[in-house]
Amino acid sequence: MPGTTSTPEIELIIEKKNGGGGGKLPPVGGGNGGGGDDSKKRPNRPNSPGRYYTGIAIGIISVLMFFMALASAFLVRKGGADWVPVRIPALLWVNTIVLLASSGTLELARKRLALSDVQGFKRFWLVTTILGVVFLIGQVVAWRILVKQGIYLASNPASSFFYIFTGAHGVHLLGGVCALIFVARRNFDAAKITQTVAAEVTSYYWHFMDALWLFLLALMYLGK
Amino acid sequence: MVTYDDGSNASASTGSGRSGRVFSTRHKTIGRQYLWVSLASVFVGMVLSALLRIHASWPDSAIPFLGGLDTTPERFAAVRLLHGSLMVFFVLTAAPQLGFGNFLLPLQIGAEEMAFPSLNCLSLWLTVASLAGMTASFFRSEGIDLWLESAAIFSLAALFSALNFCVTTITLRTAGMTLPRMPVTVWAWFVNAILSMLIFSVLLAGCAAILSDRMLGSNFFSTAAFLAQQPANLVRQASLPVLWQRLFWYFAQAEVYVAMLPCFGIITHLVATFSRKPVWKERLVVLSICGVGMTGFCVWGYHMFATGMNPYAPLVFSVLASSLGVPAAFLLASWLGTLWNGRIQFTTSVLFAIGFISLFIAGGLSGIFLARHDLSRAAVSQDFVIGHFHLVMGVAATFAILAGLFFWFPKLFGCRMNETLGKAHFWLTFTGVYCIFMPMHWMGLLTQSTLLPEAQRLALASAGESIRTVVTVATIWTVGAQLLFVVNFSGSLLRRKKVEADNPWRASTLEWSVPSPAPEENFNGPAPVVYRGAYELTGPSSGELAPQHLSPGSLAQKAR
Repeated sequence: MPGTTSTPEIELIIEKKNGGGGGKLPPVGGGNGGGGDDSKKRPNRPNSPGRYYTGIAIGIISVLMFFMALASAFLVRKGGADWVPVRIPALLWVNTIVLLASSGTLELARKRLALSDVQGFKRFWLVTTILGVVFLIGQVVAWRILVKQGIYLASNPASSFFYIFTGAHGVHLLGGVCALIFVARRNFDAAKITQTVAAEVTSYYWHFMDALWLFLLALMYLGK
Repeated sequence: MVTYDDGSNASASTGSGRSGRVFSTRHKTIGRQYLWVSLASVFVGMVLSALLRIHASWPDSAIPFLGGLDTTPERFAAVRLLHGSLMVFFVLTAAPQLGFGNFLLPLQIGAEEMAFPSLNCLSLWLTVASLAGMTASFFRSEGIDLWLESAAIFSLAALFSALNFCVTTITLRTAGMTLPRMPVTVWAWFVNAILSMLIFSVLLAGCAAILSDRMLGSNFFSTAAFLAQQPANLVRQASLPVLWQRLFWYFAQAEVYVAMLPCFGIITHLVATFSRKPVWKERLVVLSICGVGMTGFCVWGYHMFATGMNPYAPLVFSVLASSLGVPAAFLLASWLGTLWNGRIQFTTSVLFAIGFISLFIAGGLSGIFLARHDLSRAAVSQDFVIGHFHLVMGVAATFAILAGLFFWFPKLFGCRMNETLGKAHFWLTFTGVYCIFMPMHWMGLLTQSTLLPEAQRLALASAGESIRTVVTVATIWTVGAQLLFVVNFSGSLLRRKKVEADNPWRASTLEWSVPSPAPEENFNGPAPVVYRGAYELTGPSSGELAPQHLSPGSLAQKAR
């Protein structure tokens, strides 16, 4: 969606100058913006939603690198002689189902928003937030179960990795919960970012957290 | 989330009031603040290096503030660590990327602001907090935890600004600013941001694990397991200073590439502007910059994962480190090719750029010895390595920063630095650094003199003493020469003689299409439109670079 009125002319000039090579305009309005509500914005002001999508994509890559560094350390370290595998508490499987369910309700909420059913959106969004908090509480309970069994952070390398994986994922998910609350509570100034865009960007992060948790769980379960 | 207001507010409050705020979210203010942080750090770091040299030559002299330096090796290592952290983190990383980058990136791509201004402000103040932490760790007897925390905070700040740089370059380019038309500086900042994104998230994970080991007693890097994987000769001398150093190098290896990439961009830009010629083989230069970024990541990854694990690893490292020479050679060829037959204006800025190229060649040649894994054992001695990386990284990058500072000073502060003083400063510094770091290579090679017969060895040992004195005198000379810079810098700022033209260097990129100093609103009114690449001539043999924002019609009118 082209932004200003003069864009077609500019496009023509550029087309001519460049001989058809790289004559495409820079991303103007973030082509996949939620509801077509960003058509009246000027292209290069910092309020085109494109930067939120790009931002979250790059942010996700960065977070992924963080966990990959820990995962590769896990794989290298588990060859050591002092490695005692951790028995994963059964509660973790329940937590996983809770987290997967939260991704589902998040999508339902966004579908409501697309149908401009704000009440339905708020309801499902709240359910998602609650499920996220329940997951976090479940993780803390799982820690307490391990502590009762006498397995601490400092017990052995495997337990250290268990606590840092769950802990780091929990901190990142807590950021996701904050984003959920932020999207639900804030009165959006449509000139900067719409609720649709904010909800979509948050949902990407949330689903990524979901997938990351499945990966970490598989790593700890299969790689013990 | 975003506190950028759309100009309506800017006119309501006074312009200077907003940009003068300490916690500003304006990219120009933040860029200048990064430069001030660097300026403070570089002078402290320089004084520390002079103290270290004086101590090396005259161990008995009483050095102010650092009493008891010679009795405790830990203290000596701590001074070195402070010098290294200040210079590497807050000068070499902060100035070319965060200082110039924050100020110039939006201007050069025709944007009003960075993509996430609040995040930008946050990352500046995290950097300042990290600076405070690292300095404080020096005054604590067990400062390593604090130092690690500060390094983690710095990694976080670097991640935030790298995110900002990536998103700004991808989404906020103005109409017509296609990727091939971006100035090489923008390319360098962009590639560097991607590299930082990958490197610093891994560093953050490493810091988290080490800190958890030290403070919570976890077992990620247990000392026994770590030492078992190290070569035997390193284990034997694993005293505290060595551990400090190893920790430092763990960071510094990644930092080399992060520091050098934006400098490549700045030098390419300056060389083309002052030769009044297009960058020679511009596409190849951009590819080389991408190549440096990629090999940089791989070399560092090698250090991270393979040290002491695989007997073939040294070979891999050697090949990778040597392959870094290929893109570096392309860059060098392009700089020389651009300068060749150019009508060069010998301003201070271009002198520093040529100085950079000279240092890069000199340092790169000694790097060949270090990249060969079999030769490096003979050449690796403290002084040889110090001489090499100071030439190629420390001093060369500082020259690039100074070249950029002289060039963009009108855009930053609205006045020009004095050229005569600047040139005197250049020549004194240029001769000074060569007198410091070239003899240092010799000192490094002299430590291998045990291979020689007894009589020659004694003669060489006495020669080593005199070389050491030469180096120390040259250090004092060079540090003294920086007074000229201080006088020039503060004098220009205090006098504030208005720059006579908006575009004093007849440069072609977008930042020179607006008044100097850059106004509160970058591009007052509609966003600029870009019609051509950053380094294109107005005519086939005109010897003038065409401004990117002038339409072909108005350019023809101007020519007439």
